Amino acid sequence: MIAGEKATDVLVVGAGIAGMEASLLLAEAGRRVHLVEKTSAIGGMVTKCEEVFANMECATCMVSPKQQAILQNDRIELVTLGEVVGVAGSAGDFTVRVKQRAGYVDPVSCIGCAQCFEACPVKIPNEFEERLGQRAAISVPCAGALPNVPYVDTEHCLRFTKGEECTVCQEACVFGAVDFSQKDEEKELHVAAILMATGFELLKAPELERYGYGKIPGVHTAHEFERLFASNGPTTGELVLRDGRAPETAAVVHCVGRDEKDYCSGVCCMYSLKFAHYFKKKLPEARVVQLYRDLCVPGKSYQRFCERTQEHGGELLRTPEVEISGQNGKVSVSYPDGGGGRQNLDVDMVVLSPAMVPSAGTAEVAELLDLPRDEAGFLVEAEAAAPASSPKPGVYVAGCAGGPVDIQGAVAQAEAAVAGILTQGD
Amino acid sequence: MDKQIGVFVCECGPNIAGNVEIDMLLEAAASMKGVALAERHKLLCSPDGQKFLAEKIAEHGLTRVVVAACSPKQHGPTFMGVCERAGLNPYLMQMANIREQCAWIIEDKEEATRKALRHLRAATARVAHHAPLEKLEIECNPDVLIIGGGVAGMQAALLLASGDREVYIIERSDSLGGAAVQFEKVFLAMRSAAEMIAERAARIKANPHIHVLTGCEPQEVVGFFGNFIITVGRPEAEPQQIRAGAVVVATGFELLAPEALAPYGYGEVEDVLTSLEFERMNASGKIVLKNGQAPKSVAILHCIGREERRYCSAVCCLYSMKLARYLKDKVPGAAVTEFYSDLCIPGRWQQGFYRQTAEAGVEFVRASGARAIEEGGRPAVKYVEEAGKENSRTFDMVILSPAMVAPHDAGQVAQMLGVEIGQSGFYAEEHPKLAPVSTSLEGVYVAGCAQGPKGISESAVQAGAAAGKILSSLVPGRKLETEAKTSVISALLCQGCQTCLKVCVYSAIRYDEAKDVCVVNEVLCKGCGNCAAACPSGAARVKHFTPRQIGREVAEILR
Repeated sequence: MIAGEKATDVLVVGAGIAGMEASLLLAEAGRRVHLVEKTSAIGGMVTKCEEVFANMECATCMVSPKQQAILQNDRIELVTLGEVVGVAGSAGDFTVRVKQRAGYVDPVSCIGCAQCFEACPVKIPNEFEERLGQRAAISVPCAGALPNVPYVDTEHCLRFTKGEECTVCQEACVFGAVDFSQKDEEKELHVAAILMATGFELLKAPELERYGYGKIPGVHTAHEFERLFASNGPTTGELVLRDGRAPETAAVVHCVGRDEKDYCSGVCCMYSLKFAHYFKKKLPEARVVQLYRDLCVPGKSYQRFCERTQEHGGELLRTPEVEISGQNGKVSVSYPDGGGGRQNLDVDMVVLSPAMVPSAGTAEVAELLDLPRDEAGFLVEAEAAAPASSPKPGVYVAGCAGGPVDIQGAVAQAEAAVAGILTQGD
Repeated sequence: MDKQIGVFVCECGPNIAGNVEIDMLLEAAASMKGVALAERHKLLCSPDGQKFLAEKIAEHGLTRVVVAACSPKQHGPTFMGVCERAGLNPYLMQMANIREQCAWIIEDKEEATRKALRHLRAATARVAHHAPLEKLEIECNPDVLIIGGGVAGMQAALLLASGDREVYIIERSDSLGGAAVQFEKVFLAMRSAAEMIAERAARIKANPHIHVLTGCEPQEVVGFFGNFIITVGRPEAEPQQIRAGAVVVATGFELLAPEALAPYGYGEVEDVLTSLEFERMNASGKIVLKNGQAPKSVAILHCIGREERRYCSAVCCLYSMKLARYLKDKVPGAAVTEFYSDLCIPGRWQQGFYRQTAEAGVEFVRASGARAIEEGGRPAVKYVEEAGKENSRTFDMVILSPAMVAPHDAGQVAQMLGVEIGQSGFYAEEHPKLAPVSTSLEGVYVAGCAQGPKGISESAVQAGAAAGKILSSLVPGRKLETEAKTSVISALLCQGCQTCLKVCVYSAIRYDEAKDVCVVNEVLCKGCGNCAAACPSGAARVKHFTPRQIGREVAEILR
């Protein structure tokens, strides 16, 4: 770009559903987009799901056209394994430094054949699979991940951890795509606007301890359950307990973390109900009880989904709180019986539906950008301004980076952020 | 000229070559009808492979190309691009997927090769019948018409209007603001709704590119994305025609009609009000009973109509709490009780709003089947307690929080526009997750409560979303590019039965009464093929998926 020329490029941070939508629209409008994603694959949290509520649509089929469109768009420069490391300037004239970690695989020569990670001697728990499956030190998160290009995890690759001259992956690759001479790269971008679409994660282990997670083998998180059901997951879609048995009874516990976080994430009821459909599909005989507090099924179509779940045998049980304990391979869910005592529900499997919290890394980027965050760590939206704008001019927020929201809401926010960006300075 | 088909088989390193006999494919290809050239390459998608393909096309004057390689989803666009750059119409290229569908999934090399050969034969037979296709470019009008001047409509207008884009708002009532003008305050910040609307209305008034037509309704809509003509009916004036490239439907909502509230005691019991009536009473400054006295106890009933409508309106819990706040402000001594079935308070701050409301002394009672009755000459609430017991409690005043419903004439407006209405009566979005403000008709967007019940900030977001979609696709001075693989209906074969009209999800087909035939609008058609599949007389066909093309392909697969 020529010095003094007005910036029109846009930086989008996070390639989940919101970041992808915004990038595609901005590119359609003629803008050049730098889409920075911290992992090796795009699509975000939706790619963990096999199906999405309320139409029980195949999630992969839903997002893969968007992913392909991103990869094939000449105006979108995707930076995977990327992170923003510096920001200066103001609306219309930001200078951003973006670091791309070396993945040690040349994306042009790699065809994604998987030979390298099948050969790799390292086997470690796969984080994308919620550690229910394994991956190599050179890997893609799951089958079907896009871009279908593995990367070398330097925290586990023997070359980096032990200084060994291991070249197994390099030898396995007939295209010469594995390239250990790659270096981390840092580049400077000149952008007019920045969209924060850094997404969410689900409440994690220490805060789930009081629900027996980590201590009782039958207790799973929602994302673990998603991966168990996923046809490209660690069990290729078989719903099994950690000991390999199929559960005959299950309890889905809503509102996990709602009190601690002091907010309702708005989507847990729906995805919990979805789990009843998952059970019905794979284990039609299983008894599945939803322990909920308030049914939060807002909008024109969600309540019908709840009705359908009940018609399919999903049981609903309202309770203000639960206590979970384990014994002899069973999980006992205790809840108040309404008369001062307690009742027990013994099940094989408990699925916890935890609150949405900001994704790891949100804090760091927010700090770089000098963006305010709320007590829970979400980015704060500007009051009484155009939708999806942050208090800092030229910086926009879409999707769960700004608070829990469903896919529909995240997409709408992304599209609204695009409106803000395209009219910025008008 | 004879068809000069070039067949290119990609080895994809060992991915294909390791499990498919490439030489056998090449040998077989060389003797296929029309094939002038059969070549292999180590990796056709690589820069070197692409150059190789382009050179062969030029060198041999190829008029058709078959690429036997990976899934067309992965590299279809790559090879189409190579053809285009080499001067060959990209639709004269066909891929045979011999990797994902053969080499990768069949263990036995011989069997994989046999299947690959079928795919190759099919692609070669098919491509011989391909026709070159072009994308059309049409001039478009960047102006936007917004139906409805509420929060969503105003927000969209402010984002869209600019020096090179005029925006028209047609509003049925005589002023802007929509439903929100009736609220004294809006949750969660409890800011003044009137101030918010006045501020926006002033900006709209000051903007020379926004034209507000109050007291007006749409009468007729013709045209399509980029070129709509909307006839607007005006009071005591001739209808006006507005030309616009896109339309935003922001027609808002209504609350459940009074007659539907009768089972809840409305109209039967004195001092039973709707939430909106209470809003007006509060705005007037005096919260009083029929007898002129201030209420000492007030019940607010959530979820009125939820069961009948089979949806939760998403905002009633919060606006019910807002009403309790009004009461606590203006009648501090009054006891306020909220009867709710489920607390629907999704979002980052909503639970805090609930907590503050409870801390302000508002009682929350979980109940089902709550309704107002008369008991001893006073209003009372009859309800079923959580434990299942029936109960009733008397109050001075009962406020009903009814469900939001679609405007009574949403169906007519939707029909005029040619877009769909969903199960719950609201406008149906193109996709419930990925395209929340698009409709079944390209160029028509929906925002705010017209799409479904929601709060003010979500409505504003959707308005922004509609603006974002329009700003990125309807760029002033830019032409619109249409889909090349569209449907065509033969006027000779068409019997005028209009079966196709019913199955077209893009509203791309219209019936020409004079000629008694259906006609495809190529600008709107996305080539989904529904019409071609449904047409009983074979008049509707999709370019690039003609019976001959598919027939030859299938015949070779099965041979």
